[in-house]
Amino acid sequence: MTIADEAGSRAAWQRMRATAPPRRERDLQQTLRLLLATVWLMDAALQLQAFMFTPGSNGFSGMLRASAAGNPSWIAHTITWNASLNAHQPVLTNGIFSSVQFLIAFGIAWRPTCRAALALSVAWSLLVWWFGEGLGGVFTGGATPLGGGPGAVLYYALLAVVLWPATTAGNASPFVAARSLGVPTARILWASVWGLLAVLTVVGHGRAPGALLDLVQDTHAGEPGWLVGLDRWSQPVLLHDGTAVAVLFALLCVVVGACVYFAPALTQAVLVVAFVVFALIWVTIQNLGGVLAGGATDPNSGLLVLLFIVAYWPLPAAFESGSAPSAVMTDGLEI
Amino acid sequence: MAGNPVGLYYLLGVLTLVIAAYGVALLLTSISERRSAGRDVEISHVAMGVSMAGMFVPAWAFGPSVMWELVFVALLAWFVVRSIQSVQIWGLHVPHTAIHAVMSFAMLLMYWFPAGGSLRGSMSMSMGMAMATGSARLDPGLGFATALLLFGSAIFTVASPNRGATYFGTHCGGSGPSLISGDEPDAGAAVGNQGGFSAAMARPALLDASHVLMAVAMGVLLVLMI
Repeated sequence: MTIADEAGSRAAWQRMRATAPPRRERDLQQTLRLLLATVWLMDAALQLQAFMFTPGSNGFSGMLRASAAGNPSWIAHTITWNASLNAHQPVLTNGIFSSVQFLIAFGIAWRPTCRAALALSVAWSLLVWWFGEGLGGVFTGGATPLGGGPGAVLYYALLAVVLWPATTAGNASPFVAARSLGVPTARILWASVWGLLAVLTVVGHGRAPGALLDLVQDTHAGEPGWLVGLDRWSQPVLLHDGTAVAVLFALLCVVVGACVYFAPALTQAVLVVAFVVFALIWVTIQNLGGVLAGGATDPNSGLLVLLFIVAYWPLPAAFESGSAPSAVMTDGLEI
Repeated sequence: MAGNPVGLYYLLGVLTLVIAAYGVALLLTSISERRSAGRDVEISHVAMGVSMAGMFVPAWAFGPSVMWELVFVALLAWFVVRSIQSVQIWGLHVPHTAIHAVMSFAMLLMYWFPAGGSLRGSMSMSMGMAMATGSARLDPGLGFATALLLFGSAIFTVASPNRGATYFGTHCGGSGPSLISGDEPDAGAAVGNQGGFSAAMARPALLDASHVLMAVAMGVLLVLMI
C-alpha cells in the first residue's frame, strides 16, 4: 500500500471515527497489572537459564541451600529439603517453577483468568519467600530493603493485592491502589509497608558501615563493564558512609509512608523522590537483581517497588475533591 | 556447568518451526486472495521461525549466517520505514510494525553475538559453526531490555481487545475502503471475509497467538544468551 492509498484510507477512517462510539479510557490499573505480568514472564524465562540446572553448590540448588543459613533450625530444614529436591530433580523442579510462572503471567493478562492468576501468584510468592529466599533474611538480620529485603518476592504478592481487579470506576479513585482496597485501607497498607522498610533498614547488620558495600561487591562477578563502573562509583559512598546512607534512607521511608496523607501535589513530589531513589537503588546497589550476570531468578525488589509507587500516584480525582477524597462507590465498569 | 536440558531446545525449535509453517500457510492464502495486508509480518515470521529453529537445534540450521543477517537487516529497515510512515499518516502513536522492527533487531543481535553466556555452555559446537560471524558477547543490558520489550508485547497482545492488531494494526488493514463498513474496523475483517480454510487460518486470535509465541521464544533465547 502506498502512502497515497493509506492517505485515502485515512480520510475514510477519520470520517468513520467521527461517528464511532468514544474509545474506552486507558485503564491504568490494568496497565500496571500487565507490567506485573511482564515481570512474571521474565522470571519464568530466567528460570530456564543453565545455572538453574547446574547441580552442586555452584548452581541453583546451592543458592537455595545457602538461603537456609541463619534461620531457626525447623525453618532451615524445610529450605534444605527443597534444595535437595531441586538438586536431585533439576529438570522436573525447574520445569514446574518455570511453568507456574508462565501460567501466572498469561493468566494475569487474560481477563477470564486474571483473578485466579493473581491469587495463585500470592500463594506462589509466599512459598518462594519461604523455600527460595529463606524468609528474606528477616531472622538473620540481613533484610535491608536496599538489598531487596524483606524478600523481593513479597512485592509480587503485595502488587497482586494492590492491583486486584476492581469494580469501581477508574476515574473516581484518587489513586490506582484505592480502586481495589478503598482509600483508607490502601493508605494504611502503604504506610505499613514503608514503616516496615524503615525499621528493617536500621535493625540487624544492614546499617553497619560495610554492609552496603558487601551488597554491591557480591553482585560484581559477571556483570557488564558499565554496571561494574557504576558500582565502583558508588563504592566510596557506601564504604565510608554506609551507616549514614541507611539512616537517611530510613528517614526517607518514614516520609514516603506518610505522604499519602499529604496534599496531592506534595504527595506527587515525595513519590517522585521515592521513584528516583529506588530506581538508583535498583541499578547501583541491587544491580538489577544480578540478572545481567546470569543466574538470577528475578530482577530483585527495585523494579517492583517502582510499580508500587506508581499505584499510589495521585490521579485527577485526588485534585478535584481536595486532599483526602474518599473512594466513590459507583456501578463499576466490568473489567 | 551442566547446561539446559536438550529437550528444552528441541521444544523451542519445534515451536518456532510451527510458527514458521503457520506463516507459510498464511502467505499462501494471502497470495491466492491477492491480499497484501499483513504479508510483511507473515514473511518475517517465516524467516524468524526457520532461523531460530536452527539456533535452538543446530542440526536444523541451514544457509550462511551472512544470508540471514541480510534478511533481517532488510526486515528491520522495512518495518522501521513502515513505522515512520504510519506515524506520518496517523499521527503520534506506537505502530504495530514497531514491535516487528524490534523482533528483527533481536534476530540481528542473535547473529552478531552468537551463543553467549550460559547458552554457549549448553549447546553443541556445531551451533557456533552455523551462526558465528563474531565472538563478542551480547551486552546483557541490551539483551535484557530487548527481552523485556518482547515479553511486554506478548503480554499486552494477550490482554488487548483488538484481535489481529499485531498483523494489521487497528486502523490500517491494507485493503483501503473495503474495511469501512460503518462499524469499528475489525483488523481481521479483510481476511476473514473469505470463509473456509482462509478464515480458519487467519482468525485474529490465531494471528495473535503466533505473535505471542514468537515473542516469547525470542525473549527466552535472549535471556539464555545473557
